[in-house]
Amino acid sequence: MSAGGEENATPASRVPALIITHADLAQSLVRAAESVVGPFTDVTLLSNLGLSRDDLELAIEEHVKNWANGGLLFTDFWGGSCHLCGASAVRRHGEVVIVTGVNLPLLLDYLYNRDRFPVGELAERLQLKGRESIRVQRGTPA
Amino acid sequence: MSWVLHRIDDRLIHGQVLVAWGQRLDPERIWVVDDGVAASPWERDLFREAAPGVDVQVMTVTDAANAYATETAAPGGAFLLVRDLITARRLAEAVAGARDWNVGGLHYAPGKDKLNDYVYLNDEDRAAARVLLGLGATLSVQDVPASRAVSLTSLDEELTA
Repeated sequence: MSAGGEENATPASRVPALIITHADLAQSLVRAAESVVGPFTDVTLLSNLGLSRDDLELAIEEHVKNWANGGLLFTDFWGGSCHLCGASAVRRHGEVVIVTGVNLPLLLDYLYNRDRFPVGELAERLQLKGRESIRVQRGTPA
Repeated sequence: MSWVLHRIDDRLIHGQVLVAWGQRLDPERIWVVDDGVAASPWERDLFREAAPGVDVQVMTVTDAANAYATETAAPGGAFLLVRDLITARRLAEAVAGARDWNVGGLHYAPGKDKLNDYVYLNDEDRAAARVLLGLGATLSVQDVPASRAVSLTSLDEELTA
């Protein structure tokens, strides 16, 4: 089953995604997202734990090399090894766009919109959604 | 002020450097000293944009050696990053000041021996380490400021054999 309760097979236009993070943040994000929308497919996960720069780059390339029409890399933060190795790894693999600072609202929006937008447009949308989700709620004295 | 960290780390710029060491030592500049990265305009640009608010400079070992003394006297703190012990050895042989090294990450590769979760060495690494030690360098293994620093020689008895 895919996100949003759709039982259909993977649409040809679906934008695939790879989440690359420190430790097991990617697995935790997916578990959290599944608790909201149910099980989903076409999202793969990778941790940088214990990997050198070269090995992380190779591991990322293994994930994206079969993406015929590009896809998205979600990484935890700008300037981290996941981001920098991702940028190097995807250079030879079509339109692969990196979105850093992945969070749960961003991931959920991706799941509901990955069949609706091309890669570049989806990445721009997710950047906005991720930012919009970070807000400050100040307490009001009772 | 200038140098506040000389680090040997095969990831060069990454989270531990920017966040953990960066918050602790607040560098104004980061030197990425790496002939391979310096030879690639694309990679140079990638690293230059990696640390918002910090001036990242990418250069060869030769250029770093030539500019090292000037940077030493510059205002503000600076990090110097190399990817391996061999590069550290080359720099330490070229300039007198590059003696105290933080060993932050030398990850697994085939043929390397595990010293801890983030430091693996082979014979070539050990040869470079011995030269560094012979020059009077300190090699202090510590991934992040919150962890305990230990000497590389205490983790690898082959270095002092």
